[in-house]
Amino acid sequence: MLPVRAVFEKRRRAKYISHLDLMRCMQRAFRRAGVPIWFTEGFNPHAYLMFPLALSLGYESGCEIMDFRLDGVMSMEEAMERLNRVLPADLQILSVAEPAAKHTDITAAEYRLLVPCAYSTVSPDALFAAWEAFYAQPEILIEKKTKRGVSEIDLKPNSEVLSAEQTDAGVRLSLRMPAGTSVNVNPSLLIDAFTKYLAEHAPELKTGMLRAERTAILCADGSAFK
Amino acid sequence: MSLFEQIEPLLLQVQKPARYIGGEMGSIMKNKDDIKARFAFCFPDRYDVGMSNLGMKILYSCINERPEYWCERVFAPDTDFEQLMRKHGVPLYALESLDPITDFDFIGFTIGYELCYTNILNMLDLAGIPVMQKDRGEQIFPIVCAGGSCCCNPEPLADFIDIFFLGEGEELDLEVMDLYVKMKAAGATRSEFLRAAAQIQGVYVPSLYDVTYNPDGTVQAVTPKDGAPATVRKRIIENFDKCYAPDDFVVPFAEIVHDRAVTEVLRGCLRGCRFCQAGFLYRPFRERSPETICSQARTLIDNTGYDELSLCSLSTSDHSQIEQMMDGLLTFTENEHINLSLPSLRVDNFSTGLMNRLRRVRSSGLTFAPEAGTQRLRDVINKNVTEEELMRTCRIAFNAGQTSVKLYFMMGLPTETDDDIRGIIELAQRVVDMYYSMEKRGKGKPVQISCSVATFVPKPFTPFEFHPQDTREMIAHKQKILEEAVSGHKRIRASWHFPDTSILEAVLAKGDRRLCQVIYGAWKRGCVFDAWSEHFRYDLWLEAFEAAGLNVEFYANRPRSYDEVFPWDHIDYYVSKAFLIRENEKAKQAQTTPHCRLQCSACGVTKVTGHACFEKAQE
Repeated sequence: MLPVRAVFEKRRRAKYISHLDLMRCMQRAFRRAGVPIWFTEGFNPHAYLMFPLALSLGYESGCEIMDFRLDGVMSMEEAMERLNRVLPADLQILSVAEPAAKHTDITAAEYRLLVPCAYSTVSPDALFAAWEAFYAQPEILIEKKTKRGVSEIDLKPNSEVLSAEQTDAGVRLSLRMPAGTSVNVNPSLLIDAFTKYLAEHAPELKTGMLRAERTAILCADGSAFK
Repeated sequence: MSLFEQIEPLLLQVQKPARYIGGEMGSIMKNKDDIKARFAFCFPDRYDVGMSNLGMKILYSCINERPEYWCERVFAPDTDFEQLMRKHGVPLYALESLDPITDFDFIGFTIGYELCYTNILNMLDLAGIPVMQKDRGEQIFPIVCAGGSCCCNPEPLADFIDIFFLGEGEELDLEVMDLYVKMKAAGATRSEFLRAAAQIQGVYVPSLYDVTYNPDGTVQAVTPKDGAPATVRKRIIENFDKCYAPDDFVVPFAEIVHDRAVTEVLRGCLRGCRFCQAGFLYRPFRERSPETICSQARTLIDNTGYDELSLCSLSTSDHSQIEQMMDGLLTFTENEHINLSLPSLRVDNFSTGLMNRLRRVRSSGLTFAPEAGTQRLRDVINKNVTEEELMRTCRIAFNAGQTSVKLYFMMGLPTETDDDIRGIIELAQRVVDMYYSMEKRGKGKPVQISCSVATFVPKPFTPFEFHPQDTREMIAHKQKILEEAVSGHKRIRASWHFPDTSILEAVLAKGDRRLCQVIYGAWKRGCVFDAWSEHFRYDLWLEAFEAAGLNVEFYANRPRSYDEVFPWDHIDYYVSKAFLIRENEKAKQAQTTPHCRLQCSACGVTKVTGHACFEKAQE
């Protein structure tokens, strides 16, 4: 039995596959590809597949992680090649290796976002200025829905803006957010807070549909999760 | 801007966007430039329902087998997405290419349920295609066509559809496409093509028929013109074992109703239950050999990656070699963690051998359909199932550790009395009593019998096509009887629905061409997704009836005489009206008819096929 950690990408049409649907899709891909995946034992055996960090619906990514175990004589490189042949073009495995870190080692994730102007009459200058003023606030409170109910969190200590720049289309951001098994903050929350801020302070400024991509999953020391 | 860029910003604003973006495993991409005809296969309901439809899977693969044709999938968008599409000017598009279907050669609907008719109009409108057939001009494309079981009475849709495909489509659809490509290349007009297509057996072009009515509102005559045949006969596949079957499915990302590999084991039904339209429409009975079934199932599992396989037919246990078939399938499904499911089993031939094989399959409860609560009424409807057989089957199931059984019934059947309704609960109670009389029964869980009671809808091409449907008041009365009968029975649960959708179903099933204006009017008033209770607006339908000067009772609640001209009398599904009359007379006497393997009842099929459906048993 060989444990394998696959890095895969989720782009274009595939970014609309929900986390639950992705699980099923991958399970079927293993069967379709004829890759001998290890099944859990017990009353109701099922293919063992782990996704340590879920990706929001609509986000693209080039750094998603899927763990599985090979149960038979097949190299992980061949497994990857076979899986890629049966997976959609927008959902492809980029690399495979034996897992180095534990799932609990994940502490942060990085994202690239484009917050576009909703219409051509919204000026990118004004939108960028509003962003700067928004993020300069001492605290940014927003309600977060969890399994246990609604709680309020402050996004200021829970986000790090790596870069913010103005483009013709709107505001381009690079963010680092807490991620992993203990704290997990979705960057969409920050954009929701910004939208709320605009409604209150600059109602003439409207943003369009967010374009978002996860660019890295990180361990505590800042290294990529492998 | 491409349509993809146009719909992308909308997708995250709607529920389950994976339904609207395609790109699934098994979906077929082709190069537009190599294609001679594009077929938009439209399912007039939501993705999760349509993607479960086996007919669509078969014809999708069948058309795409031909390199010069490209068949793509189209479903009815849910109302949230439809609103956004209309607001942003996004036309209805196909899921493979994401191209608008407006310029496709064929817009083909598969119609299996009357309550999806308004969705057909809505989808045409969303695509920017004139809803009315007469408004489509002389350009040859797009040809709006329709197939599926509801097309046995195509008249209520006559104003909207250019071509109906009657019967099985595996050969017919391609023949019509071949003719189209030839005529399009020669510069033919739409009406020239329609006239030529009408000469192919199985093609019904409603615009080539004039309908006149008697003063009482019944049909006087249906007259063909421009050389169209006086009666149009459905198509069947003679050699079903060798018939085309898909070796791959489009495997969705989003969850759908039936998310599994499906293998068709037989077509048609030999039982002749008098209420069942499918049992007559799909005749003759034809089986696939266990070898073919196993090899098709194996290929499908390998290609789709599904971990569940379902056998599809009207009555799987009527397959003459079911145990061989099961043994063949179990050899690989068991080793590979593949769940095998067998819907459509009958209680009268449910053997211990079959049960033992089923026990090796993960089971999620057993469902049987006695259909009526008393033996008298079961004889009337020719459901040749006795109470002893039901008890024996339940005993086998209980012995195997099952504790819940679901039973399907109908109310509103011809000759039905209040005692027949009470009989439903009495029958269920006897199943409960039998359970407690068993010495070796499952410990812990109490027995639970669920009775689901639907409102009967009389349908064309059945012996009950002459019968009126029970009125709303009669159904309400019977539901009350049922409610009273079940109260106090702790181990029995009974469920039923408001009859309004069943009434509309009866009207549309047995309606004539004048209903086109009612359907149009209902859609104009906002009716869509009539099959979904959260959308169904019976009040708007009644308004549409009134505006058209028609009424529900004329279609649903009127007994029809044997000599009346029915709106579908020029459509031939192999089964003769004389046979249906004979069967209806026997029903009145509560006389049963043996199934086709025991004795031929001369339904009319052999007259067309020219041979007996079953080989005579060796003496």
